This record gives sequence, C-alpha cells and structure tokens, in this order.
Amino acid sequence: MRLKTIREGEAVLFTLPALVPLLLFWLGPLGYIVYLSFTEWDFMSPNKLFVGLDNYVYLLTHADFYQALKVTLLFGLGTVIPIIVGGLALALLMNSKLPSTGLFRAMMFSPWVTPTVAVSIAWSWIFEPDVGLANLVLGWIGVSPVGWLQDPTWALVAVMIVTIWKSIGWSMVFYLVALRNLPADLMEAASIDGAGGWDKFRAITLPLISPTTLFLSIILTIQSLQAYDQINVMTQGGPAGSTRTLLYMYYQSAFESFNVGEASAIAVIIILICVLLSGLSFLFSRRLVHYS
Amino acid sequence: MNLTEASKMKPKRELGRNLGRERSRKAVPFGEKFWRMFRYVLLAVISLAMAFPFYWMVTSGLKTNDEIWRFPPTFWPEAINWSNYADAWNSAPFARYMFNSVFVAVAICVIQVVNASMMAYALTHMNFRLKSSFTGIVLVGYMIPSTAVYLPSYLVLNELHLLDSYAGLIVSNCVSVFAIFLLRQAFLQVSHELVEAGQLDGASHFRILWTVMAPLIRSSFAVMILITFIEQYNNYFWPMLITKDPDLRLVSAGLRSFFVEGGAYGLAWPQIMAASAFTIAPLLILFLFAQKTIMQSVNMSAGVNKN
Repeated sequence: MRLKTIREGEAVLFTLPALVPLLLFWLGPLGYIVYLSFTEWDFMSPNKLFVGLDNYVYLLTHADFYQALKVTLLFGLGTVIPIIVGGLALALLMNSKLPSTGLFRAMMFSPWVTPTVAVSIAWSWIFEPDVGLANLVLGWIGVSPVGWLQDPTWALVAVMIVTIWKSIGWSMVFYLVALRNLPADLMEAASIDGAGGWDKFRAITLPLISPTTLFLSIILTIQSLQAYDQINVMTQGGPAGSTRTLLYMYYQSAFESFNVGEASAIAVIIILICVLLSGLSFLFSRRLVHYS
Repeated sequence: MNLTEASKMKPKRELGRNLGRERSRKAVPFGEKFWRMFRYVLLAVISLAMAFPFYWMVTSGLKTNDEIWRFPPTFWPEAINWSNYADAWNSAPFARYMFNSVFVAVAICVIQVVNASMMAYALTHMNFRLKSSFTGIVLVGYMIPSTAVYLPSYLVLNELHLLDSYAGLIVSNCVSVFAIFLLRQAFLQVSHELVEAGQLDGASHFRILWTVMAPLIRSSFAVMILITFIEQYNNYFWPMLITKDPDLRLVSAGLRSFFVEGGAYGLAWPQIMAASAFTIAPLLILFLFAQKTIMQSVNMSAGVNKN
C-alpha cells in the first residue's frame, strides 16, 4: 500500500513540470475568463463589478458583434476550404509517378516556416494600390485595379490570400503523406475492374484520405479563429471593420479600450465556437470518416 | 498507423511498385508523356509563384526609393543598393531583436523537451490514479485556442511580476500541448518491456526515461525542437502583449515597430523590404538544411490526432 502511494507520487512528480504551467497559463485562465466575462473592469480600478450577463446581452444586441462574427465566418470558410482543396489538388498533381519533385515541394512549403509578420509586410507592398504587383497582375488579365487593403470589400480577400499562401503547401504535404499510404493493390484492382480516374478518386482516394481531411479541417478552423498577426500588420481590423474578426475585436476591446468584461465575453464565445466545432467534427468523424 | 500495420503493408506496396515498373518498361504512350510534361510545367509555375513574394522582398530591398515607386515595376533592380540593407540593419537594434528571439526560443525548446517528455512518459509508461484525467486535461488544452485566454494569462503573469522580462517570455510559453502529444505518440510505440527490464536492473524512471527511452525517439525530439523553435522565433502576438520594453522585443515585434515608426507606414519601402528579408533569412536557411525533418512533422502531427 505504501509502496503504491510512493509510486503514484513519483508519477505525479513527473507530470508537474508540464502540469503547473499548463494550469497557470492555460486552464486556470480558462476558468478566470469565464468569471471575468460576468464583470465590468478596466484593469485599473481595485474592484471588479459583477454585472451578470450584461456583457453578453450588450454584445448580442450590437451590430459590431455580428459584423465581427460575419467576418470570422467568411475568413474561416475563405481560408479553410481553399487550403484543403488547393492542398489536395497540389498533392494529386505531384503524387503519381512524377519523379524529382522535391524542389517544388520545398518551394511550396517554405512560406509556412517564415514569420507571419515579415511576410505580411511584404504582401502589404504587393497589395499597394498604385504600384503594387497585385494590381499589375490584375491588369494582365484585364481587370481594373482595386484598392486592396484600403477597400472594405477587398481587404478581407487580401488577408485571406496571405493566409492561404502561408498554409497551402503545409496542407499539401499532409495529403502527400496520405496519398502515399494508399494501398496500391486496391488502386490496381479498381483499374483492372475498369474504373476511370475520377471514379477511383471518388470511391477510393477520397474516403481513404478522409481522416487527413478531418484533421486539417479542425486544425485550420482553430487556426483561422486565432488569426491575428496578418490582420494586425495589414489592416488592423479596418477599413470600416471589414477585417475585424472576433479575435481581433477581443484584442481591441481588451488592450485598446480596456473593457475587460466585454473582451472576456467575446473570448468565451470564441471558445464555445471551438468546443462546438470540435464536438461536431467528432460526430462527423464517426459517420463519414473512414479509419483503416 | 502503428509499426506492425506498416510492416504488413510493405509487401503490398512493393507489389504495386513492381507493377508500375513493368508498365513503364513498355513504351510510354505519347498522351501520357505529354500529360507528365504538362504537370511538370504547371508545378514549376505554381512553385515559382509561391516563392515569388520572397524574391520580390529581396529585390525590392535592393531598389532605390525612386525605382520602387515606379509603375509598372521593374522585375530586376536597375542598380543593386546593398546600402538599403545596411541602413535598415543600423536604424533599429535588429541584432538585439534576433538575439532575443533566438535566446527565448532556445530556452523554451530546452524546457519543453524536459517537461513534455516527463509528462508524456508518465502518461504512457507509469501507472497512477489520475492518469486519465491528466490525459483529459492535456486534450482540453489541445482544443482550446490559446489566444482566447491571453487576457487572463496576462493578468496571471502580472500577478507573478513577470511582465516585461525574459523570464516571463520563457515561462509563459514553456508548455506545449502539441509537444506532449507528439512525444506521447512516440512513447506509445516503445515497448513497455524496456521499462520493466530497466526497473529490474534497479534503474529509476528518471534514468529509464533519459538513457533508455530518449535515444529511441530521437527523431520525434528533432521534429519537436525544430517546430517549437520556428514557432517561438516567429511568435508575435503574445510576446508583444507582455513586453513594453523595446529591448525585450522579439524579431517580429521589432520588425513591425520598424515598419510603423521607422518606415512611417510606407515611406521607406526599400528599407522595410530589406528588413523583412533579413528577418526571414535565418528561417529559410534553417528550412534549407532541415527540410526533411520539418516536413516529417506533418507525418507525426497527423499521427497525434489518431489517438
């Protein structure tokens, strides 16, 4: 009995170096922010005023919140889908019986390792409305120049382009691994049975790589909810709130307006969205995803 | 996929490969040749387009202010102005910023190797009552977006009097759920018999972990360290929140402040592009040398999700 307690103690000791910071900077704050979302506070005053659900009511009755929710949704769909579909397309293009594609793979993956702030600055120059490269390219295909970061309809598109550019090669490498693990005999058998390229893709490839797709959707969605660097550098939420996501609104109300209660309520909503999506994807995975 | 499955699959795959080879020994039909050519060209074009922003950054940093504002832009600078790079480097303490980034990232890597391995080892090869709830805690951490709790974490750090310090930058980032999962995955592949054998020889868990297990999962360590280093070197949002002192800026925050103040939002674009270029350079060089390991992270993080 005592020996067992000692052993247990040793195991707990092993977990402490990670557990303490995890509780201090991750799970503790999680509980703390729920509490803060029921209060009104400005970082300075000695007392936090308990206001119940006021912050949530305020948010849910103001257009700013819905605007940010809309931007978050657009940004999420507009980045996650192209990164997944594009990554898969690139992987398919590269995969079958095409030798020495290492250099291409490295070039496409490289944006992922670089700091978002630095590349966002470079992209801001590309999106410069008068002399930028983006408008030059638009001119080549006969489209008149747009204001990009200064134009409320195009600013979000510009931020999405940078986000997609940064992660598409990363998702491609995931799919390359998944495609390489496809059982070759199954593909051969399908070919012998007379299945065409598209049939094989739909009936065999897609279901077999669905775990990768699910994994990428979850990770990329959580990442899109957390996008901050590129927005901060390129648009700071503007123009006219057109790139202000929930996360950016949270940051602004916490560290620019010092409205701790409201900011915390937004954060709780972001967390709830995450939990909801994780739950949904779990349900999805049981029905649609094929684990071999 | 675990190792036994992989070994079962290998012969099948080789069979497939042989079939492919037999076919290619026959003359490749023209259509297929053309299709292959087409794919190469397409891939080359896409790759160049993907890498183009880097090229653009470097060459824009070599242009004069006059040339950079010309339209249509020149694709190769008329005269090479390396002085822009020197100017940018000297007009803000970039050496200091880079030192900060590297120092903080390395310190975090070292701590994470220790605490993530101990946690992962305990979760896989030790028995204790709270094991499943600890796994649960780590799992929750994996799903919660860390940025959402920056506000309360900031308050915690303030209470600990760690704002505006290297210690704060390091301590607040010293645990990574991803690292724990990655190593847990690696430890699951190692037979528990090794631990039992070690115990029979009278070795402590601590010794078994570092002398028996750690060498076996070297490649997971390599991946974990590289990914953590890249992430922390590039880190911007959180370090910027918790430091006001310009001397403590990491390289991204330093670059961003140069962009806003020094560059006055676009008046000195050649210098700004030069600064962005030398900020990115160390990472691209690192990527050049550690490509395989970095891309391997994909393999492993996909595995993280399966359990």
